[in-house]
Amino acid sequence: MTAWVARMNQKIRNSSNIFLAGGYLFSIIYALIIVIPLYFVVISAFKNNSEIISTPLDFPASIDFKKFFQAQMNVDLLRALIISSVVTIGAELVTFILAFPAAYAVARIQTRLSVVAEAIFSLGFLIPGLAILMPIYLMVARAGLLYHPIALIIIYPAFNLPLSMILLVGFMRKLPRELDESAVIDGANVLQIILYIFLPLSSPGIITVLVLNFINIWNEYLFALILMDSNNRTIQLATALLRSSQRSVDYGLIAAGVVISMLPVILVFIFFQDKIMSGMLAGAIKE
Amino acid sequence: MFFISTMRWDGLALPQKFIFVDNFIRFFKDPNISVALRNTGIHLLFGILGVIPFAFMLGFFVSLRKPGFQVLRTIFFMPSMISVAALAMIFLGLYRPDGMLNSFLESFGLASLTRVWLANKTTALGAIIAIDIWSGIGFYSVLYFAALSNIPEELYEAAQLDGAEYWTLMWKIAFPMMLDFTGVVIILQFLYILSGAAQNIIILTQGGPGNATLTLGYYLYNQAFLTQRLGYSQAIAVLIFIVGIVVILTIRRLSSRFSY
Repeated sequence: MTAWVARMNQKIRNSSNIFLAGGYLFSIIYALIIVIPLYFVVISAFKNNSEIISTPLDFPASIDFKKFFQAQMNVDLLRALIISSVVTIGAELVTFILAFPAAYAVARIQTRLSVVAEAIFSLGFLIPGLAILMPIYLMVARAGLLYHPIALIIIYPAFNLPLSMILLVGFMRKLPRELDESAVIDGANVLQIILYIFLPLSSPGIITVLVLNFINIWNEYLFALILMDSNNRTIQLATALLRSSQRSVDYGLIAAGVVISMLPVILVFIFFQDKIMSGMLAGAIKE
Repeated sequence: MFFISTMRWDGLALPQKFIFVDNFIRFFKDPNISVALRNTGIHLLFGILGVIPFAFMLGFFVSLRKPGFQVLRTIFFMPSMISVAALAMIFLGLYRPDGMLNSFLESFGLASLTRVWLANKTTALGAIIAIDIWSGIGFYSVLYFAALSNIPEELYEAAQLDGAEYWTLMWKIAFPMMLDFTGVVIILQFLYILSGAAQNIIILTQGGPGNATLTLGYYLYNQAFLTQRLGYSQAIAVLIFIVGIVVILTIRRLSSRFSY
């Protein structure tokens, strides 16, 4: 026993171990600070309000779905989910249809124009959303699309094109040139090269782009807030609105909305975690 | 944006009138501008200094790939997956008078520290900044993790043979190699605070109580969509844009000077 203590002391004295112990300590504290609020909101969705206040971190005594129905009554979550789904699918498609051929052009056609195009897409990262909020609002109003989900389907691709382009271009540049050269020799035209060679071979890159765009579009709040009205709320608007739908804050109701709005993203995150991280990093480094 | 900023235009249906730089001159007469500048400055200071050093250190620790690093990395990344609306609602539950934070303090016998966090002039801005720190450390630590993973293993091994400890590795090898990347990270966080962070304020405090959480970003939103002073709001947008460009160029300069 004393030998063991002596050996442990020796080890602890080693400052590398102190570093690792400190690293674990701070990491775990921070991890708890992240997890506890998330846990709190998820269990709150299944409790009644007195339970939330008296025993905030206890597991619910009985699983209760009442708050979900109540939230549905208050802000029509189902309708918001449908609108969010339509907007997300539409904006994903538009983004992809624009980004994929453009990425091929930038990656494979070597002119000065493609260099300029790539630089402009990278600059897109630097435009703060607030700065273009008003101009976009005016343009949408002038086009007569205010309060119509189509406005979001048109606007969101503009935000998601920069990252989509950078990731797809980066991916396509890694594909061997011999592929398109041999296809040209076999008499394929550009469209055929894009559709039959690049589309299947880029699928890992495409999945990354689709997943990242899904999260960005589903989670977007600010532009939906100014461009949509009460008939066309996205799920994010509905969630934030649960707060003001009653005079006193009914936190169980809010928690139910939060859980519903997060669910799709959490599922995507579980399945595509590595792709999400690598894609976001590629974007950050490129900037 | 630049065009509208030279107009007096007080409502979508009302006529526009060209007034050139009058909107910018109004900045000096508007007490809200100095409050907004001050709050934005505080937000930037704490939102950057409170995030980047910790993100770097946690990112370095995770990049050592000790047991459990994948779990930590996943947890650190989770806040970045949550939408602003959901995030604001989660923190509403913590900050409420009978919310989790206060009941936590009470259970530790610290009832005297309980506050109405979002409705108290002295704590509201801090409470808003805390949300950005909470999610920012995790996001940037994962970015640092991935960037640090590109440092060749041999570099660490050579230094360890010379007797360097982790602490030395972190500050003498990893940190200098990350200077450029740190510049990028600071720019990202800077732009986020200047613009995106206003969403938390829109949802949670609307600039209040009083002017306690009035930032430039929120003031722009407020003038454009609540009081409908469209011309003036775009003058604020120009101000934000100029501040942004100046700071980005400065950071670029600094990080390229120090990295050689």
